[in-house]
Amino acid sequence: MKAKVSNRQRGETRLGWMLSAPAVIILLAVTGYPILQAVYFSFFNYRMTDPDNRFVNWGQNYIVILTDPLWWQTVGVTLLLTVVTVAVELVLGFALALVMLNALKAVRPWVRTAILIPYGIITVVAAFSWKYAFDLGTGFVGTWLSMPAFDWFGDFWSSFIVICAAEIWKTTPFISLLLLSGLAQIPSDMLEAATVDGATWWQRMWKVIIPNMKAAIMVALLFRTLDAFRVFDSVFVMTAGAQNTATVSFLTYNQSIGQLQLGMGSALSVLLFLSVALICFIFIKFFKVDLAQARGE
Amino acid sequence: MTEKARKHGPWRLALAGGALLGLVAVTGCSANTSTPTLTWYINPDNGGQATIAEQCTAEADGAYRISTSLLPNDAPSQREQLIRRLASADSSIDIMSLDPVYVAEMANADYLAPVPEEYVGEFTDGVIPSSVESSTRQDVLVAAPFWANTQLLWYRKSVAEAAGLDMSQPVTWDEIIEAADSQDKRVGVQGIRAESLTVWINAMVESAGGQIVENPDADSPDQVRLGLDSEAGRSAAGIMERIAETGVGGPALSNLDENGAMLEFQSDDGGFMVNWPFIYSASQAAVEDGSLDQAVLDDIGWTLYPRVDEGQESRPPLGGINLGVGAFSENPDLAFQAVQCIRSPEKQSAYFLTDGNAPSNLAAFDDPEVREAFPAAPVIAESLQVSAARPLTPYYNEVTGGIQKSWHPPEAVRPDSTPARSQEFILEILKGERLL
Amino acid sequence: MSGRKHTVWWIVISLVVAVYALFPVVWIVSLSLKSPGDIANKQFWPTAIDWSNYELIFTGAAKDLFLPALVNSIGICLIATVIAVVLATLTAYAVARLDFPGKKLILTMALAVSIFPVISLVTPLFRIWSAIGLYDTWAGLIIPYLSLTLPISIWTLAAFFRQIPWELEQAAQVDGATSFQAFRKVIVPLAAPGVFTTAIIAFFIAWNDFVYGISLTSTSAARPVPAALSFFTGASQFEEPAGAISAAAIVVTIPIIIIVLLFQRQIVSGLTSGAVKG
Repeated sequence: MKAKVSNRQRGETRLGWMLSAPAVIILLAVTGYPILQAVYFSFFNYRMTDPDNRFVNWGQNYIVILTDPLWWQTVGVTLLLTVVTVAVELVLGFALALVMLNALKAVRPWVRTAILIPYGIITVVAAFSWKYAFDLGTGFVGTWLSMPAFDWFGDFWSSFIVICAAEIWKTTPFISLLLLSGLAQIPSDMLEAATVDGATWWQRMWKVIIPNMKAAIMVALLFRTLDAFRVFDSVFVMTAGAQNTATVSFLTYNQSIGQLQLGMGSALSVLLFLSVALICFIFIKFFKVDLAQARGE
Repeated sequence: MTEKARKHGPWRLALAGGALLGLVAVTGCSANTSTPTLTWYINPDNGGQATIAEQCTAEADGAYRISTSLLPNDAPSQREQLIRRLASADSSIDIMSLDPVYVAEMANADYLAPVPEEYVGEFTDGVIPSSVESSTRQDVLVAAPFWANTQLLWYRKSVAEAAGLDMSQPVTWDEIIEAADSQDKRVGVQGIRAESLTVWINAMVESAGGQIVENPDADSPDQVRLGLDSEAGRSAAGIMERIAETGVGGPALSNLDENGAMLEFQSDDGGFMVNWPFIYSASQAAVEDGSLDQAVLDDIGWTLYPRVDEGQESRPPLGGINLGVGAFSENPDLAFQAVQCIRSPEKQSAYFLTDGNAPSNLAAFDDPEVREAFPAAPVIAESLQVSAARPLTPYYNEVTGGIQKSWHPPEAVRPDSTPARSQEFILEILKGERLL
Repeated sequence: MSGRKHTVWWIVISLVVAVYALFPVVWIVSLSLKSPGDIANKQFWPTAIDWSNYELIFTGAAKDLFLPALVNSIGICLIATVIAVVLATLTAYAVARLDFPGKKLILTMALAVSIFPVISLVTPLFRIWSAIGLYDTWAGLIIPYLSLTLPISIWTLAAFFRQIPWELEQAAQVDGATSFQAFRKVIVPLAAPGVFTTAIIAFFIAWNDFVYGISLTSTSAARPVPAALSFFTGASQFEEPAGAISAAAIVVTIPIIIIVLLFQRQIVSGLTSGAVKG
């Protein structure tokens, strides 16, 4: 009897891995191998068009990057962008989620459809739309705000605001959907009990709704933070890094693809990867985000 | 993976793996024909290069066929695309339309097949000197000048007249800034953080008698000597400072590209502008589609690029396209034959007429048709002959990147600090001690 | 009375949401319908509707650039979606249904891959692709797209599969079917809606890619539309063709809008179940 069970168990293990193998192999091949290669090249001074001057420089790339104000500036910009967009998205997304939850049955599908359009639209397309809206040559925003001579992409803060706006517009729907599913999980009798007890709307929000949604909020926060930290498309299209709006991803792209500095670019890739891993670690360790639990494991 | 999947049975895996494999196979092979096909990577234009490709294919009479493949719009992205392919020793690159600034880098990396002796005379005789220079690396001709571009000083006749500026004589930057300021008009420049900013700065430095890179032949990054921290560099910075300070650069100065500058120049604020010759045809087209008054077009005048010092001839920017043959091409001989056909003076004139891109052969300017279609042609020819190329160093990408970083925004440029800081910054980048 | 006030309120709020969501889309539609003389008029609406930008990309000078890119985008994204969904279905089935050591590891790995910065992978991938001849091919984009679409597909499908009544499968197994037959005959039809939803989400993700598109292609052999947008040019290389870019942008947005209109309910359930228990 026992042998039979373990036999069955063995078969299940075999089948499980057999079914998973193709996906696992592809994921490993497309991420594991390249990142190892990036680690290897990060120890070289290697410019693709100058292979004669290629040599091992033992971590010099990392020293140069970590002592360069440009790196810290792009890290700062990226963090600022992450914090601003994620904070706004959380508030806006929560409001949208409440709208979707409470909207009349007749309009609910339409609200959902409208919200899904920014989610589905190509980021680059969204970036072009926002760029042209503010651009001095084509934009209507200057006309509408009666400031036709103001160049939105002419200094850091105004460029930054437009980039944030485009990012927020595009990604708030995603966060609001995650929050919506959290909202939907709150037992309605709990809310009813609070209402019977005479709790105000505000009290219900803080005492019942938000504590019960903690898991959903944290997961939404983690996903969006990781996404925002990797922002590239919008910056590439709207400013191409001008006015100090370069992000870590943009700097890495510029160094490896633009400058063809494979050594330095690989080192930046590794640092970018480590930054993302660090954010993930912080969330899981300090904010106690239990992804397995949140994902219904 | 595919093998393993098949052995273990599940047909889905086999199918998926097979699909992947099939894709690789399909995309990996190409049709086999007896006539060799040469691939010409072209920069976007009005379709003129594609036409030339067809003509030369017809003229080759079966010796070769030219097919074109489009590169991105801006020069740095064109370079990225080409170098990425060349770095993998791609034999599909036969002919390339190259921005002159990247010729040195590609030659240094041995990505370009040197021009065979028999063509050197034809490719250089009667050709604009700076175009030949920009096709040469360490005294070897590595590309064939095809068409050449230069910037002119465009002005609104009414504004110059009102300011009392005699445009029949060479003018200086200071004079046009002052004239525009007095009339409350703009001086259009390219202040955007892009290649066009380097175009502008290089032209001013060269016009002031300086050079951004003093030893373009150096082939190790730490041997490059820069001439930015110099009188010429400071003069250039001074002009930028004045344009920003007086406000003649307009509110969009730090984001102004060629197109933006043109739109501003065509508006009521337009006074003066340095820009490429497309201004005239673009303004004509704008009149045709009704977005611009004929009166504005009639008011547009052009002359040589402004001087920095009154007594010293200006060195206008050089642009255009040189044709390179890929070092890994399977048919270099045919490729050079094709280049010979593409850049023949008749095709250059025809290309000028259809696409507005000026020939690199001076003879092509004498075509009466050209003279009629391009009223500015004589000035363009004159400007090309005194034009100065941007630094012909293999490290151009770092140099221009460093300039764009340290001379931007134009409002922050100061003659006493910007050139010196910029020079130090670029040298550090070249040594691999700084990020860009 | 209060009911009607309530209704009016909700209509107003819904309108605000609709304006929020559609404004940038309407703006780029408007821009794409402007004539060349109108593009720089700095007004929201065109003075007259003009189709020349669409003519330009479909039949005019930009067609050799745009049409191959459109074919590439559609082909590459569809193939990447199909492969991702097929592979993810197998994996998700194993994870949701079978008990075997390492399934936690598979899920964690999928999650780790999904947080990978794409930019970090582009340089090494480019080198490898150049070396083995995948650079600038469809397969050269499909494979990296799998790294974007597989993780979320596995998670979403695993969530769907957990809700399936597996007793049916056991019943089939009792009737003599093997695990695999039971999977194919009984579960696949039940799982089809989840698989379909996952396919939509995976397609959106592949469709959205830009970094791989600009880095791993160099000709119209594989270049997708988002990457091709930066290749558009005006009458001269110095004129930026905002109109043509907008028209192309609208063309690639239309499939998204159609899918959203038809399947909004499925997309919402897919997005939420994949990330949070729902």
